Amino acid sequence: MISVTPTAIADSPNKVDLNNLTPEQIALEIKDLNLFYGEKQALQNISMAIPKGQVTAFIGPSGCGKSTLLRCINRMNDLVDICKITGEINLHGENIYGKHVDVAELRRAVGMVFQRPNPFPKSIYENVVYGLRIKGENNRRVLDEAVERALKSAALWNEVKDRLHESALGLSGGQQQRLVIARAIAIEPEVLLLDEPTSALDPISTLTIEELIHDLKQQFTVVIVTHNMQQAARVSDQTAFMYMGDLIEYSDTNTLFTTPSKKKTEDYITGRYG
Amino acid sequence: MDSLNISRHISGQFNEDLERIINLVMQMGGLVEKQLSEALQSVSEGDEDLAKKVFSNDYQVNNLEVVIDEECTRLIAKRQPAAGDLRLVMAIIKTIADLERIGDEAKKIANVTMQSLSSKHKDLLLNLDNLGRRVLEGLQLTLDAFTRMDVDAALKIHQTDEKIDREYEALMRQLMTYMMEDPRSIPEVMAVIWSARALERIGDRSQNVCEYIIYFVKGKVVRHTSPAEMKKI
Repeated sequence: MISVTPTAIADSPNKVDLNNLTPEQIALEIKDLNLFYGEKQALQNISMAIPKGQVTAFIGPSGCGKSTLLRCINRMNDLVDICKITGEINLHGENIYGKHVDVAELRRAVGMVFQRPNPFPKSIYENVVYGLRIKGENNRRVLDEAVERALKSAALWNEVKDRLHESALGLSGGQQQRLVIARAIAIEPEVLLLDEPTSALDPISTLTIEELIHDLKQQFTVVIVTHNMQQAARVSDQTAFMYMGDLIEYSDTNTLFTTPSKKKTEDYITGRYG
Repeated sequence: MDSLNISRHISGQFNEDLERIINLVMQMGGLVEKQLSEALQSVSEGDEDLAKKVFSNDYQVNNLEVVIDEECTRLIAKRQPAAGDLRLVMAIIKTIADLERIGDEAKKIANVTMQSLSSKHKDLLLNLDNLGRRVLEGLQLTLDAFTRMDVDAALKIHQTDEKIDREYEALMRQLMTYMMEDPRSIPEVMAVIWSARALERIGDRSQNVCEYIIYFVKGKVVRHTSPAEMKKI
Protein backbone atom coordinates (compact mmCIF):
# COMPACT_ATOMS: atom_id res chain seq x y z
CA MET A 1 0.00 0.00 0.00
CA ILE A 2 1.44 3.35 -1.00
CA SER A 3 1.45 5.67 1.96
CA VAL A 4 1.09 9.33 1.10
CA THR A 5 1.63 11.66 3.99
CA PRO A 6 -1.01 14.38 3.75
CA THR A 7 1.33 16.95 5.29
CA ALA A 8 3.69 16.57 2.32
CA ILE A 9 0.96 17.99 0.13
CA ALA A 10 -0.09 20.69 2.60
CA ASP A 11 3.44 22.07 3.22
CA SER A 12 4.17 25.39 1.57
CA PRO A 13 7.08 25.40 -0.88
CA ASN A 14 8.92 27.83 1.44
CA LYS A 15 8.69 25.68 4.54
CA VAL A 16 12.01 25.28 6.31
CA ASP A 17 13.00 22.91 9.07
CA LEU A 18 13.59 25.23 12.03
CA ASN A 19 15.65 22.59 13.78
CA ASN A 20 18.00 22.06 10.83
CA LEU A 21 18.64 25.43 9.24
CA THR A 22 21.81 25.79 7.24
CA PRO A 23 23.90 28.95 7.76
CA GLU A 24 22.70 30.20 4.37
CA GLN A 25 19.09 29.92 5.50
CA ILE A 26 19.58 31.94 8.68
CA ALA A 27 19.12 35.73 8.76
CA LEU A 28 19.48 36.16 12.49
CA GLU A 29 20.51 33.89 15.29
CA ILE A 30 19.57 34.69 18.88
CA LYS A 31 21.58 32.80 21.48
CA ASP A 32 20.91 32.67 25.20
CA LEU A 33 19.56 36.20 25.26
CA ASN A 34 18.68 37.64 28.63
CA LEU A 35 17.47 41.19 29.17
CA PHE A 36 17.12 43.09 32.42
CA TYR A 37 15.43 46.38 33.11
CA GLY A 38 17.34 47.16 36.29
CA GLU A 39 16.66 44.23 38.59
CA LYS A 40 13.68 42.99 36.62
CA GLN A 41 14.39 40.28 34.06
CA ALA A 42 12.27 40.78 30.98
CA LEU A 43 13.73 38.10 28.67
CA GLN A 44 14.98 34.71 29.80
CA ASN A 45 17.39 32.58 27.81
CA ILE A 46 15.90 33.22 24.41
CA SER A 47 17.47 31.14 21.65
CA MET A 48 16.09 30.96 18.15
CA ALA A 49 17.12 31.21 14.52
CA ILE A 50 15.16 33.45 12.19
CA PRO A 51 15.10 32.16 8.62
CA LYS A 52 16.08 34.40 5.76
CA GLY A 53 13.45 35.61 3.34
CA GLN A 54 10.55 34.57 5.53
CA VAL A 55 8.10 36.20 7.91
CA THR A 56 8.50 35.33 11.57
CA ALA A 57 5.82 36.45 14.01
CA PHE A 58 6.17 36.98 17.74
CA ILE A 59 2.90 36.56 19.63
CA GLY A 60 2.01 36.50 23.28
CA PRO A 61 0.04 38.36 25.93
CA SER A 62 0.83 41.93 26.89
CA GLY A 63 4.07 42.22 28.80
CA CYS A 64 5.48 38.91 27.59
CA GLY A 65 8.57 40.54 26.08
CA LYS A 66 7.86 40.26 22.37
CA SER A 67 8.40 43.95 21.58
CA THR A 68 11.39 43.97 23.93
CA LEU A 69 12.89 41.09 21.97
CA LEU A 70 12.14 42.83 18.69
CA ARG A 71 13.89 45.98 19.86
CA CYS A 72 16.95 43.93 20.79
CA ILE A 73 17.43 43.03 17.16
CA ASN A 74 18.32 46.58 16.14
CA ARG A 75 19.62 47.65 19.55
CA MET A 76 16.82 50.09 20.21
CA ASN A 77 17.02 49.00 23.82
CA ASP A 78 20.41 50.76 23.98
CA LEU A 79 18.37 53.92 24.39
CA VAL A 80 17.03 52.66 27.72
CA ASP A 81 19.56 53.49 30.42
CA ILE A 82 18.67 50.71 32.85
CA CYS A 83 18.58 48.02 30.17
CA LYS A 84 21.24 45.29 30.37
CA ILE A 85 21.62 42.44 27.92
CA THR A 86 23.55 39.17 28.00
CA GLY A 87 23.82 36.68 25.20
CA GLU A 88 24.18 37.18 21.47
CA ILE A 89 22.27 38.16 18.41
CA ASN A 90 24.20 37.23 15.31
CA LEU A 91 23.68 38.91 11.97
CA HIS A 92 25.88 37.34 9.28
CA GLY A 93 27.57 35.39 12.05
CA GLU A 94 28.65 38.56 13.83
CA ASN A 95 27.26 39.49 17.23
CA ILE A 96 25.46 42.82 16.91
CA TYR A 97 26.32 43.57 20.53
CA GLY A 98 30.03 43.28 19.76
CA LYS A 99 32.27 46.15 20.76
CA HIS A 100 33.07 47.33 17.25
CA VAL A 101 29.62 47.20 15.74
CA ASP A 102 28.48 50.38 13.98
CA VAL A 103 25.01 50.80 15.42
CA ALA A 104 23.91 53.27 12.74
CA GLU A 105 24.88 50.78 10.05
CA LEU A 106 23.08 48.06 11.99
CA ARG A 107 19.94 50.13 12.01
CA ARG A 108 20.24 50.62 8.28
CA ALA A 109 20.49 46.90 7.77
CA VAL A 110 17.73 46.19 10.26
CA GLY A 111 14.91 48.63 9.64
CA MET A 112 12.00 49.17 11.96
CA VAL A 113 8.38 50.20 11.60
CA PHE A 114 6.37 51.12 14.65
CA GLN A 115 2.77 50.79 15.66
CA ARG A 116 1.88 54.39 15.11
CA PRO A 117 2.89 55.68 11.66
CA ASN A 118 5.62 58.27 12.13
CA PRO A 119 6.36 60.06 8.88
CA PHE A 120 8.59 63.07 9.22
CA PRO A 121 6.95 66.46 8.78
CA LYS A 122 8.41 66.66 5.29
CA SER A 123 7.28 65.84 1.80
CA ILE A 124 6.63 62.28 0.73
CA TYR A 125 9.77 62.41 -1.41
CA GLU A 126 11.96 63.72 1.39
CA ASN A 127 10.67 61.11 3.79
CA VAL A 128 11.76 58.31 1.48
CA VAL A 129 15.18 59.77 0.66
CA TYR A 130 15.97 60.83 4.22
CA GLY A 131 18.17 57.83 4.97
CA LEU A 132 19.91 58.09 1.62
CA ARG A 133 20.72 61.76 2.14
CA ILE A 134 22.19 60.95 5.57
CA LYS A 135 24.44 58.43 3.82
CA GLY A 136 25.60 61.23 1.56
CA GLU A 137 23.64 60.44 -1.56
CA ASN A 138 22.54 63.58 -3.36
CA ASN A 139 22.46 62.52 -6.99
CA ARG A 140 18.98 63.47 -8.14
CA ARG A 141 18.61 60.58 -10.55
CA VAL A 142 19.69 58.04 -7.95
CA LEU A 143 17.28 59.51 -5.43
CA ASP A 144 14.39 59.58 -7.90
CA GLU A 145 14.95 55.94 -8.79
CA ALA A 146 15.20 54.97 -5.15
CA VAL A 147 11.96 56.78 -4.35
CA GLU A 148 10.09 55.08 -7.17
CA ARG A 149 11.52 51.69 -6.30
CA ALA A 150 10.76 52.02 -2.59
CA LEU A 151 7.26 53.38 -3.08
CA LYS A 152 6.46 50.65 -5.60
CA SER A 153 7.75 48.02 -3.20
CA ALA A 154 5.54 49.54 -0.51
CA ALA A 155 2.52 49.47 -2.85
CA LEU A 156 2.16 53.24 -2.55
CA TRP A 157 3.59 54.57 -5.81
CA ASN A 158 0.36 54.74 -7.81
CA GLU A 159 -1.37 56.69 -5.05
CA VAL A 160 1.32 59.34 -4.55
CA LYS A 161 3.38 59.53 -7.75
CA ASP A 162 1.69 62.76 -8.77
CA ARG A 163 2.17 64.48 -5.42
CA LEU A 164 5.57 63.41 -4.19
CA HIS A 165 6.36 66.90 -2.97
CA GLU A 166 3.22 67.25 -0.88
CA SER A 167 3.40 66.82 2.87
CA ALA A 168 3.46 63.26 4.11
CA LEU A 169 1.18 64.32 6.94
CA GLY A 170 -1.64 64.72 4.44
CA LEU A 171 -1.74 60.99 3.78
CA SER A 172 -4.20 58.62 5.43
CA GLY A 173 -3.04 56.35 8.27
CA GLY A 174 -2.62 53.36 6.01
CA GLN A 175 -0.74 55.41 3.44
CA GLN A 176 1.50 56.88 6.12
CA GLN A 177 2.39 53.42 7.35
CA ARG A 178 3.25 52.31 3.85
CA LEU A 179 5.33 55.46 3.44
CA VAL A 180 7.22 54.58 6.62
CA ILE A 181 7.84 51.12 5.20
CA ALA A 182 9.07 52.69 1.96
CA ARG A 183 11.40 54.91 3.97
CA ALA A 184 12.82 51.85 5.70
CA ILE A 185 13.33 49.85 2.54
CA ALA A 186 14.82 52.74 0.53
CA ILE A 187 18.13 52.16 2.29
CA GLU A 188 18.05 48.50 1.33
CA PRO A 189 17.91 46.75 4.65
CA GLU A 190 18.21 43.03 5.05
CA VAL A 191 15.74 42.68 7.87
CA LEU A 192 12.52 44.55 8.55
CA LEU A 193 11.15 44.68 12.07
CA LEU A 194 7.45 45.49 12.28
CA ASP A 195 6.13 46.28 15.75
CA GLU A 196 2.34 45.91 15.56
CA PRO A 197 2.31 47.72 12.23
CA THR A 198 -1.44 47.60 11.75
CA SER A 199 -2.74 48.13 15.29
CA ALA A 200 -3.63 51.74 14.57
CA LEU A 201 -5.10 51.12 11.13
CA ASP A 202 -8.58 50.40 9.78
CA PRO A 203 -9.39 46.89 8.51
CA ILE A 204 -8.83 47.67 4.84
CA SER A 205 -5.48 49.35 5.48
CA THR A 206 -4.59 46.37 7.65
CA LEU A 207 -5.25 43.93 4.84
CA THR A 208 -3.29 46.13 2.43
CA ILE A 209 -0.28 46.06 4.75
CA GLU A 210 -0.63 42.29 5.13
CA GLU A 211 -0.57 41.88 1.37
CA LEU A 212 2.48 44.11 1.32
CA ILE A 213 4.23 41.95 3.92
CA HIS A 214 3.66 38.96 1.69
CA ASP A 215 5.42 40.79 -1.15
CA LEU A 216 8.18 42.23 1.05
CA LYS A 217 9.45 38.83 2.10
CA GLN A 218 10.58 38.23 -1.47
CA GLN A 219 13.27 40.83 -0.82
CA PHE A 220 13.70 41.02 2.97
CA THR A 221 13.50 38.97 6.12
CA VAL A 222 10.52 40.19 8.12
CA VAL A 223 9.95 39.90 11.85
CA ILE A 224 6.56 41.06 13.07
CA VAL A 225 5.11 41.52 16.53
CA THR A 226 1.36 41.36 16.59
CA HIS A 227 -1.45 41.09 19.10
CA ASN A 228 -3.71 39.83 16.36
CA MET A 229 -3.33 36.07 16.26
CA GLN A 230 -5.27 35.72 13.08
CA GLN A 231 -2.89 38.19 11.47
CA ALA A 232 0.07 36.12 12.64
CA ALA A 233 -1.61 33.05 11.19
CA ARG A 234 -2.23 34.82 7.89
CA VAL A 235 1.08 36.54 7.23
CA SER A 236 3.82 34.53 8.90
CA ASP A 237 5.77 31.43 7.95
CA GLN A 238 6.81 30.69 11.49
CA THR A 239 5.51 31.91 14.82
CA ALA A 240 7.14 32.25 18.22
CA PHE A 241 4.86 32.26 21.26
CA MET A 242 6.25 34.07 24.27
CA TYR A 243 5.01 34.18 27.81
CA MET A 244 6.47 36.15 30.74
CA GLY A 245 9.82 36.59 29.07
CA ASP A 246 10.18 32.97 28.00
CA LEU A 247 10.04 31.53 24.51
CA ILE A 248 7.44 28.83 24.97
CA GLU A 249 7.07 27.47 21.47
CA TYR A 250 8.56 28.28 18.09
CA SER A 251 7.43 26.39 15.02
CA ASP A 252 5.98 26.80 11.56
CA THR A 253 2.79 28.77 11.66
CA ASN A 254 0.51 26.07 10.25
CA THR A 255 1.56 23.64 12.95
CA LEU A 256 1.43 26.15 15.79
CA PHE A 257 -2.12 27.21 14.96
CA THR A 258 -3.52 23.73 14.31
CA THR A 259 -1.57 21.37 16.58
CA PRO A 260 0.58 23.31 19.04
CA SER A 261 2.79 21.08 21.14
CA LYS A 262 2.72 23.10 24.34
CA LYS A 263 -0.39 23.46 26.46
CA LYS A 264 0.39 27.12 27.21
CA THR A 265 0.41 27.82 23.49
CA GLU A 266 -2.87 25.98 22.97
CA ASP A 267 -4.43 27.84 25.89
CA TYR A 268 -3.31 31.22 24.58
CA ILE A 269 -4.34 30.82 20.98
CA THR A 270 -7.70 29.33 21.90
CA GLY A 271 -8.41 32.01 24.47
CA ARG A 272 -8.18 29.89 27.57
CA TYR A 273 -6.31 30.84 30.74
CA GLY A 274 -5.80 29.39 34.18
CA MET B 1 -19.08 17.03 28.32
CA ASP B 2 -15.98 18.94 29.29
CA SER B 3 -13.69 16.16 28.20
CA LEU B 4 -13.86 18.37 25.15
CA ASN B 5 -12.47 21.20 27.31
CA ILE B 6 -14.85 23.74 25.92
CA SER B 7 -15.78 25.54 29.10
CA ARG B 8 -12.55 27.36 29.79
CA HIS B 9 -12.66 30.05 27.15
CA ILE B 10 -12.39 33.56 28.41
CA SER B 11 -15.30 34.32 26.15
CA GLY B 12 -18.44 32.92 27.72
CA GLN B 13 -20.17 33.43 24.42
CA PHE B 14 -17.67 31.15 22.72
CA ASN B 15 -18.37 28.51 25.36
CA GLU B 16 -22.08 28.81 24.78
CA ASP B 17 -21.71 28.60 21.01
CA LEU B 18 -19.62 25.45 21.23
CA GLU B 19 -21.88 23.83 23.81
CA ARG B 20 -24.90 24.49 21.67
CA ILE B 21 -23.25 22.88 18.66
CA ILE B 22 -22.09 19.85 20.64
CA ASN B 23 -25.59 19.37 22.05
CA LEU B 24 -27.05 19.48 18.57
CA VAL B 25 -24.55 16.88 17.37
CA MET B 26 -25.48 14.60 20.30
CA GLN B 27 -29.12 15.10 19.42
CA MET B 28 -28.46 14.22 15.80
CA GLY B 29 -26.46 11.15 16.80
CA GLY B 30 -29.24 9.95 19.05
CA LEU B 31 -31.79 10.45 16.34
CA VAL B 32 -29.73 8.58 13.75
CA GLU B 33 -29.16 5.72 16.18
CA LYS B 34 -32.92 5.51 16.75
CA GLN B 35 -33.57 5.60 13.01
CA LEU B 36 -31.25 2.65 12.43
CA SER B 37 -32.62 0.71 15.38
CA GLU B 38 -36.21 1.18 14.23
CA ALA B 39 -35.32 0.35 10.65
CA LEU B 40 -33.81 -2.95 11.76
CA GLN B 41 -36.77 -3.62 14.01
CA SER B 42 -39.19 -2.94 11.20
CA VAL B 43 -37.36 -5.49 9.06
CA SER B 44 -37.20 -8.21 11.69
CA GLU B 45 -40.85 -7.75 12.70
CA GLY B 46 -42.20 -6.96 9.28
CA ASP B 47 -43.67 -3.76 10.74
CA GLU B 48 -44.61 -1.53 7.81
CA ASP B 49 -45.87 1.28 10.04
CA LEU B 50 -42.52 1.44 11.77
CA ALA B 51 -40.76 1.48 8.40
CA LYS B 52 -42.96 4.38 7.28
CA LYS B 53 -42.07 6.19 10.51
CA VAL B 54 -38.36 5.82 9.70
CA PHE B 55 -39.02 7.28 6.25
CA SER B 56 -40.99 10.22 7.57
CA ASN B 57 -38.54 11.06 10.36
CA ASP B 58 -35.54 11.32 8.05
CA TYR B 59 -36.29 14.99 7.47
CA GLN B 60 -35.37 15.69 11.11
CA VAL B 61 -31.91 14.25 10.55
CA ASN B 62 -31.51 16.34 7.42
CA ASN B 63 -32.67 19.51 9.18
CA LEU B 64 -30.22 18.99 12.02
CA GLU B 65 -27.38 18.59 9.57
CA VAL B 66 -28.22 21.92 7.94
CA VAL B 67 -28.63 23.69 11.30
CA ILE B 68 -25.36 22.38 12.73
CA ASP B 69 -23.53 23.20 9.51
CA GLU B 70 -24.78 26.78 9.68
CA GLU B 71 -23.84 27.08 13.35
CA CYS B 72 -20.33 25.86 12.58
CA THR B 73 -20.01 28.33 9.70
CA ARG B 74 -21.08 31.17 11.98
CA LEU B 75 -18.64 30.06 14.65
CA ILE B 76 -15.75 30.01 12.20
CA ALA B 77 -16.70 33.48 10.91
CA LYS B 78 -17.13 34.98 14.38
CA ARG B 79 -14.44 33.28 16.42
CA GLN B 80 -11.73 32.18 13.96
CA PRO B 81 -11.08 29.11 16.11
CA ALA B 82 -7.56 27.75 16.24
CA ALA B 83 -5.80 24.57 17.32
CA GLY B 84 -8.07 22.21 19.26
CA ASP B 85 -11.16 24.36 18.76
CA LEU B 86 -10.60 24.42 15.01
CA ARG B 87 -10.05 20.68 14.88
CA LEU B 88 -13.23 20.16 16.90
CA VAL B 89 -15.30 22.25 14.51
CA MET B 90 -13.81 20.50 11.49
CA ALA B 91 -14.47 17.10 13.12
CA ILE B 92 -18.07 18.10 13.77
CA ILE B 93 -18.64 19.30 10.20
CA LYS B 94 -17.39 16.01 8.84
CA THR B 95 -19.23 13.92 11.44
CA ILE B 96 -22.64 15.41 10.72
CA ALA B 97 -22.19 14.69 7.02
CA ASP B 98 -21.57 11.04 7.85
CA LEU B 99 -24.48 10.96 10.31
CA GLU B 100 -26.81 12.39 7.68
CA ARG B 101 -25.74 9.67 5.26
CA ILE B 102 -26.30 7.03 7.94
CA GLY B 103 -29.81 8.38 8.25
CA ASP B 104 -30.31 7.90 4.53
CA GLU B 105 -28.96 4.36 4.74
CA ALA B 106 -31.42 3.61 7.55
CA LYS B 107 -34.21 4.54 5.16
CA LYS B 108 -32.88 2.09 2.58
CA ILE B 109 -32.90 -0.65 5.21
CA ALA B 110 -36.48 0.13 6.20
CA ASN B 111 -37.35 -0.21 2.53
CA VAL B 112 -36.96 -3.99 2.81
CA THR B 113 -40.00 -4.07 5.05
CA MET B 114 -42.04 -2.54 2.30
CA GLN B 115 -41.11 -5.37 -0.06
CA SER B 116 -43.37 -8.25 0.74
CA LEU B 117 -40.87 -11.02 1.06
CA SER B 118 -42.21 -14.51 0.60
CA SER B 119 -41.87 -16.77 3.61
CA LYS B 120 -39.14 -18.91 2.03
CA HIS B 121 -36.88 -15.85 1.86
CA LYS B 122 -37.61 -14.57 5.32
CA ASP B 123 -34.67 -16.53 6.75
CA LEU B 124 -32.40 -14.22 4.76
CA LEU B 125 -33.63 -11.46 7.00
CA LEU B 126 -32.22 -13.28 10.00
CA ASN B 127 -28.69 -12.93 8.67
CA LEU B 128 -29.40 -9.34 7.73
CA ASP B 129 -30.57 -8.75 11.27
CA ASN B 130 -27.35 -10.20 12.69
CA LEU B 131 -25.30 -7.90 10.54
CA GLY B 132 -27.58 -5.04 11.49
CA ARG B 133 -27.18 -5.61 15.22
CA ARG B 134 -23.41 -5.60 14.86
CA VAL B 135 -23.50 -2.38 12.85
CA LEU B 136 -25.90 -0.76 15.30
CA GLU B 137 -23.64 -1.66 18.18
CA GLY B 138 -20.69 -0.17 16.29
CA LEU B 139 -22.63 3.05 15.74
CA GLN B 140 -23.63 3.24 19.40
CA LEU B 141 -20.04 2.74 20.53
CA THR B 142 -18.86 5.33 18.01
CA LEU B 143 -21.33 7.93 19.24
CA ASP B 144 -20.34 7.16 22.79
CA ALA B 145 -16.66 7.58 21.91
CA PHE B 146 -17.53 10.87 20.22
CA THR B 147 -19.26 12.14 23.35
CA ARG B 148 -16.15 11.41 25.39
CA MET B 149 -13.66 12.04 22.56
CA ASP B 150 -12.11 8.73 23.56
CA VAL B 151 -9.24 7.94 21.21
CA ASP B 152 -8.66 4.43 22.54
CA ALA B 153 -12.29 3.51 22.00
CA ALA B 154 -12.22 5.09 18.55
CA LEU B 155 -9.16 3.07 17.56
CA LYS B 156 -10.78 -0.14 18.78
CA ILE B 157 -14.03 0.52 16.92
CA HIS B 158 -12.10 1.51 13.81
CA GLN B 159 -10.43 -1.88 13.76
CA THR B 160 -13.67 -3.84 14.18
CA ASP B 161 -15.06 -2.58 10.87
CA GLU B 162 -13.11 -5.40 9.28
CA LYS B 163 -15.41 -7.91 10.99
CA ILE B 164 -18.44 -6.10 9.63
CA ASP B 165 -16.96 -6.19 6.15
CA ARG B 166 -16.32 -9.95 6.41
CA GLU B 167 -19.83 -10.63 7.64
CA TYR B 168 -21.21 -8.51 4.83
CA GLU B 169 -19.18 -10.45 2.27
CA ALA B 170 -20.43 -13.75 3.67
CA LEU B 171 -24.01 -12.53 3.48
CA MET B 172 -23.50 -11.35 -0.08
CA ARG B 173 -22.18 -14.76 -1.09
CA GLN B 174 -25.24 -16.35 0.42
CA LEU B 175 -27.56 -13.96 -1.38
CA MET B 176 -25.79 -14.52 -4.68
CA THR B 177 -26.26 -18.24 -4.23
CA TYR B 178 -29.97 -17.72 -3.64
CA MET B 179 -30.33 -15.75 -6.81
CA MET B 180 -28.36 -18.23 -8.86
CA GLU B 181 -30.41 -21.15 -7.56
CA ASP B 182 -33.73 -19.39 -8.07
CA PRO B 183 -33.70 -16.51 -10.53
CA ARG B 184 -37.35 -15.77 -9.68
CA SER B 185 -36.15 -14.67 -6.25
CA ILE B 186 -33.92 -11.95 -7.69
CA PRO B 187 -36.27 -8.96 -7.11
CA GLU B 188 -36.80 -9.89 -3.46
CA VAL B 189 -33.21 -10.79 -2.80
CA MET B 190 -32.05 -7.54 -4.41
CA ALA B 191 -33.98 -5.62 -1.76
CA VAL B 192 -32.06 -7.54 0.90
CA ILE B 193 -28.79 -6.89 -0.95
CA TRP B 194 -29.40 -3.14 -0.94
CA SER B 195 -30.08 -3.27 2.78
CA ALA B 196 -26.94 -5.28 3.43
CA ARG B 197 -24.99 -2.80 1.36
CA ALA B 198 -26.52 0.04 3.39
CA LEU B 199 -25.40 -1.63 6.61
CA GLU B 200 -21.89 -2.07 5.29
CA ARG B 201 -21.83 1.63 4.39
CA ILE B 202 -22.99 2.57 7.88
CA GLY B 203 -20.07 0.58 9.23
CA ASP B 204 -17.72 2.57 7.01
CA ARG B 205 -19.24 5.85 8.12
CA SER B 206 -18.89 4.92 11.78
CA GLN B 207 -15.26 4.22 11.00
CA ASN B 208 -15.00 7.72 9.49
CA VAL B 209 -16.34 9.27 12.69
CA CYS B 210 -13.68 7.38 14.65
CA GLU B 211 -11.06 8.95 12.38
CA TYR B 212 -12.44 12.40 13.17
CA ILE B 213 -12.19 11.67 16.90
CA ILE B 214 -8.54 10.74 16.47
CA TYR B 215 -7.98 13.90 14.41
CA PHE B 216 -9.52 16.12 17.08
CA VAL B 217 -7.65 14.59 20.02
CA LYS B 218 -4.31 13.79 18.44
CA GLY B 219 -4.19 16.31 15.62
CA LYS B 220 -3.31 13.50 13.23
CA VAL B 221 -5.04 12.84 9.95
CA VAL B 222 -5.55 9.08 9.76
CA ARG B 223 -7.81 8.90 6.73
CA HIS B 224 -6.45 6.50 4.13
CA THR B 225 -3.79 5.08 6.46
CA SER B 226 -3.12 1.40 6.80
CA PRO B 227 -4.14 -0.56 9.92
CA ALA B 228 -0.44 -0.93 10.77
CA GLU B 229 0.02 2.85 10.67
CA MET B 230 -3.11 3.32 12.79
CA LYS B 231 -1.68 1.11 15.51
CA LYS B 232 1.24 3.52 15.91
CA ILE B 233 -1.08 6.40 16.85
